[in-house]
Amino acid sequence: MKVAFKVNGVQRHVDMAPLARLLDALRGPLGLAGAKEGCGEGECGTCAVLLDGVPVNSCLVPIGQCDGREVVSVEGLGAIGHLSPLQACMAEHGGAQCGICTPGMLIAAEALLRRNSDPTAHDVRTAIAGNLCRCTGYERIVQSILHAAYELRSSDKGAAE
Amino acid sequence: MVDAKKARETREPVVGENVVRVDGAAKVTGGARYVDDIPPMPGELHGATVRSRVPRGILRAIAFDPSFDWSDVTVVTAKDVPDNVVQLIVDDQPVLAAERINHMYEPVVLLACSDKAKLARAYAAVTLDIEPLPAVFDMEESLAAETVIWGEANVQNRYLITKGAADTDESEAAIDVAIAACEVVVRGSYSTHHQEQLYIEPNGMIAWWDEAGAHATGSLQCPFYVHKAFKRCFHLEPEQIHITQAVTGGGFGGKEEYPSLIALHAALLAKKSGRPVRIIYDRVEDIEATTKRHPSRSWIESGCDRDGTLRALKMRVMMDAGAYVTLSPVVLSRGVLHAGGCYRWADVRIEGIGVATNTPPNGAFRGFGAPQTIWAIERHLDAVARQLGLDAGELKVRNMLVEGDTTSTSQTLRGSVGGTECVERAFEASDYLARRRAGPSVLGRKARGLGCAVFMHGGGFTGSGERMLKGKVAVDLLAGGRLEIRSGSTDIGQGTETVFAQIAADAAGIPFEHVSVAVPSTTHVPDSGPTVASRTVMVVGAIVERAAKELAARVEASRRPGETFAAAGDRLLAKEGPQSALVQYEPPAWVNWDDKKYKGDAYPVYAWMCDVAEVEVDLDTFEVKVLNFWSAADVGKAIHPLMCKGQLEGGSLQAIGWALSEEVVWKAGAIVNPRMTNYIIPTALDAPPFETFLVEAPYEHGPSGGAKGIGELPMDGGAPAVAAAVEHATGLIINHLPLTPERLFAAWLNSEAAQ
Amino acid sequence: MSLADLSRYEFARPASLDAACRLLSDREKKGARTVLLAGGTDFMVQVSQGGAAEGPLPLVLDVSRIKELACVSFDGTTLRIGAGVSYLELQRDPVVREYAPLVARMTQDIGGPTIQGRGTLGGNLATASPAADGVAAIAAYDPVIEVKSSRGTRKIPIAVLQTGYKQTSRAADEVIVAVEFRAPAHGSAWCWRKVGTRLAQAISKVAFAGVAEVHDGRVTRVGFAMASVAATTALLPNTRELVRLTPLAQLTAAAVDAAVASDVSPQDDVRSTRDYRMHTAKAVVRGFLRDLGAPV
Repeated sequence: MKVAFKVNGVQRHVDMAPLARLLDALRGPLGLAGAKEGCGEGECGTCAVLLDGVPVNSCLVPIGQCDGREVVSVEGLGAIGHLSPLQACMAEHGGAQCGICTPGMLIAAEALLRRNSDPTAHDVRTAIAGNLCRCTGYERIVQSILHAAYELRSSDKGAAE
Repeated sequence: MVDAKKARETREPVVGENVVRVDGAAKVTGGARYVDDIPPMPGELHGATVRSRVPRGILRAIAFDPSFDWSDVTVVTAKDVPDNVVQLIVDDQPVLAAERINHMYEPVVLLACSDKAKLARAYAAVTLDIEPLPAVFDMEESLAAETVIWGEANVQNRYLITKGAADTDESEAAIDVAIAACEVVVRGSYSTHHQEQLYIEPNGMIAWWDEAGAHATGSLQCPFYVHKAFKRCFHLEPEQIHITQAVTGGGFGGKEEYPSLIALHAALLAKKSGRPVRIIYDRVEDIEATTKRHPSRSWIESGCDRDGTLRALKMRVMMDAGAYVTLSPVVLSRGVLHAGGCYRWADVRIEGIGVATNTPPNGAFRGFGAPQTIWAIERHLDAVARQLGLDAGELKVRNMLVEGDTTSTSQTLRGSVGGTECVERAFEASDYLARRRAGPSVLGRKARGLGCAVFMHGGGFTGSGERMLKGKVAVDLLAGGRLEIRSGSTDIGQGTETVFAQIAADAAGIPFEHVSVAVPSTTHVPDSGPTVASRTVMVVGAIVERAAKELAARVEASRRPGETFAAAGDRLLAKEGPQSALVQYEPPAWVNWDDKKYKGDAYPVYAWMCDVAEVEVDLDTFEVKVLNFWSAADVGKAIHPLMCKGQLEGGSLQAIGWALSEEVVWKAGAIVNPRMTNYIIPTALDAPPFETFLVEAPYEHGPSGGAKGIGELPMDGGAPAVAAAVEHATGLIINHLPLTPERLFAAWLNSEAAQ
Repeated sequence: MSLADLSRYEFARPASLDAACRLLSDREKKGARTVLLAGGTDFMVQVSQGGAAEGPLPLVLDVSRIKELACVSFDGTTLRIGAGVSYLELQRDPVVREYAPLVARMTQDIGGPTIQGRGTLGGNLATASPAADGVAAIAAYDPVIEVKSSRGTRKIPIAVLQTGYKQTSRAADEVIVAVEFRAPAHGSAWCWRKVGTRLAQAISKVAFAGVAEVHDGRVTRVGFAMASVAATTALLPNTRELVRLTPLAQLTAAAVDAAVASDVSPQDDVRSTRDYRMHTAKAVVRGFLRDLGAPV
């Protein structure tokens, strides 16, 4: 099945079996290895991407449902040398240790910050509750995201003034 | 272009600073390449493992469905294995089962095919004919040895530690007399269960052969373990083996010894097919087949004075090794060495027994035997306090080891003993003593309580281990006054690369950015010893520091007045060729360990920690929520305080998960819940906020002003602290992990019935 | 290793509900199996964990973009929730939050955000797992389930829809379109209590949904439902009757416990035990009744 959809802002095409997983499309023909497979059954969240702005587990999304839609993976948030504030905070404040959950965490956090610029720690924990981390105890991830929210608010304010 | 002179002269020390971790940018952009992110090599095949699915038996035949087209499927069985042994401590584990089946997930046949879907069909076309034999799953049944499944009587290992009265008599008589003479005697039994490491990246490996020999790249902690395993299995020369670590998504011990087996499997398929082979475990296979934390049972009898002064300890610890020895002797060793806790005992008899069962081999997992015995001793001290009418925290403080005291192995603590300060900090932050005295707070159907654990954890290999290991590190001088560290120590998320660069930068007096760390590949790095045992920063970091100093001194010696470090370095390189410093670890000269009597300096130094947990228990449903978790840890010197706290918090949450929800459910030797949906680790909503304090009681031989090993430490205290808090909240005494709601409910029923 | 082979499935995406019904009807006549796919949170797990299926595979019919399944509306009496509305949409929907706050609250306990964005009530109703939180939550409102086929439209009461463990009375050619129920009086009491294996990404050990309209110490409308305590979502008829017939002040813990015990038949499984579930089922019902003022 030929599927045309936007990936990280760019129109892309793949030709795959319709039930093939979005995760496999990203990691295979699309060459985006940021999303990982941790469980293959929607539990760990390390394959999370934004599908039309909503965080989803790409291991549970058949590519056949993606035609005409918009996907953002961790690669779409920013690149080395051009990190988004969220990415930079995750690196600076201890949010990434082994890093395998980090792409999915960033996607979950991105979805949160797009809707809520001033989250509480509990908001953050709720937003990342579908993303398992085994290294950090989550504390530094929560702090990283709160730092990013603060920075985004500060820069928005700066832009407004 | 960096002005090296300016940078060097204006540089600030980086030790103690929270520099951005060197792999941070790659990890937050999706650019870090874990093993399954490495693009396929030309001609690469996928590999799969056919497992026994019978817990014990004799392999009679392997049938390959004749109607299936096997033409493009590579098949490997035990017959294809040159030397069918996984090299570790004891030669009891085959790379592929040839005849005897000893656990449910024993690898028997390997398959490889370029088409994944066909590989799956090929897998289904293999049938194993296994004649079942009676299997043993229980430790005590194993010890009874009515069915012999390992060696002569199922016992793999025994240790005995004695001190004081027990020194004179290895039987139990002397310690029994010492305990009987005490004013208060307390007895108890305690147990712990399996725990799965559940790193989020499953195990995986890619192997291939070429004119240089055998190559394997993958998710691993210890490249030289794999190297040794290849040397043995394939009878290769060391220089024919090339093992490289890919970016590794967590290990916690689970990628210490097991990756050797996967790498061997991939290499066997690669050798037979002449193609590169990639084996990536899916989650189910990873949970089923790879190692877990050893279950344990402990029996303790102790004697103390009425005022709470501890006197005599008799303890018996049994651990379940699983089907093969793997690292169990060392795990049991660390277990018994930590069994006395961080307390002063005059008379000690600690006995450790490791037995075999027909379950997959248990192996390395953060804490390495110590969380099991510390669970037992901490819960036991809670029992002693209960009997004496003292608060457990006060009892623990009163008996904590301080400098000059001797441990259970008669080791005199020579310094860097920060336990007291840890307790003070954690108690103060949590208001522990006042809140314990105030009793549980009950609001409606919810009860809150506080509990503490105090513990110490030895850094580095046990006893004379580091002396035998002879870990090495090399530092090379690069152009522009830069240094590169070559070490076999791996970064598996804990931040090794960053911390090594910090240590070397300050040791050499150069900017942090001028230090790089080579990818751990056995071809290019010396064997620094494995990345285990809380040894990487403390032991390997110390030789990184020495090597960087030595090399910098060489540059300094040749430096002309007014010349920059970079220019001096470049001139040295031009004049004398490549410059590097290779340093081998030497433990402190005073380390004295008697391996026969299990006496002496078990570890050169201990890191210390005090945890206080606050829990809320739902009195209707027995759900336990950890509301707060305060810890203070004596880390010697925090080289990177943020990452240091991150390690402590992550370890504490693993301990909390172990205590409250993680449980491997077994049925006749098979794991019933090998999935992330039913092996329950904490989410961000289950995790408490952590408040973590760092205490620095420097260790004179640690790097960068006295760093100690802390990787395993936090795994030791979370479970007993949570259990003590649950007891405070509800009065329910749980001595057997885990504290699931179902078990708390059962304990509540029993306590109701007792009343 | 996983034996799944996703490449063997065929896939269709009908443009409208009518087109979907026609396709289903044609397949049904040929005796060919069809699976409706919405958020995929069950189906994709099932096929990727379940191994290679024998025989012909079902056609996968993607209903995720059918507009008729995507609406939420309230006519002043009846709340209608489209079967294809995601739990995340329900969580944010002002009408649902206002008139069925229990449902909005429940959605927060479905998996985690990445599951909430995909899962649907229609999916939960169709797969009919007794552990489904979504079904338990709406079952407390005594809903009817609207299903459509080329043969026409039926409205099936929840009790009739559920016929057994993971079984429903939906015919193979029918599409679940929407759920409808009369909203309780505005501001009525409600309770959602999930006891799961953890606080997110959890399957219920027990989950309880309760709604009650209370007048002068008597419960005049009551709806209870419970997940994971029977082969189907338990509707607790005896407990409902007890509560409807007894003034709150006269309810006793023993009577409530006995009623609940008669309404559920929990079992041991990998997540919990029969005894714990039975105890917890009683406790959560009593917890709600206590909140209503009953001395239990």
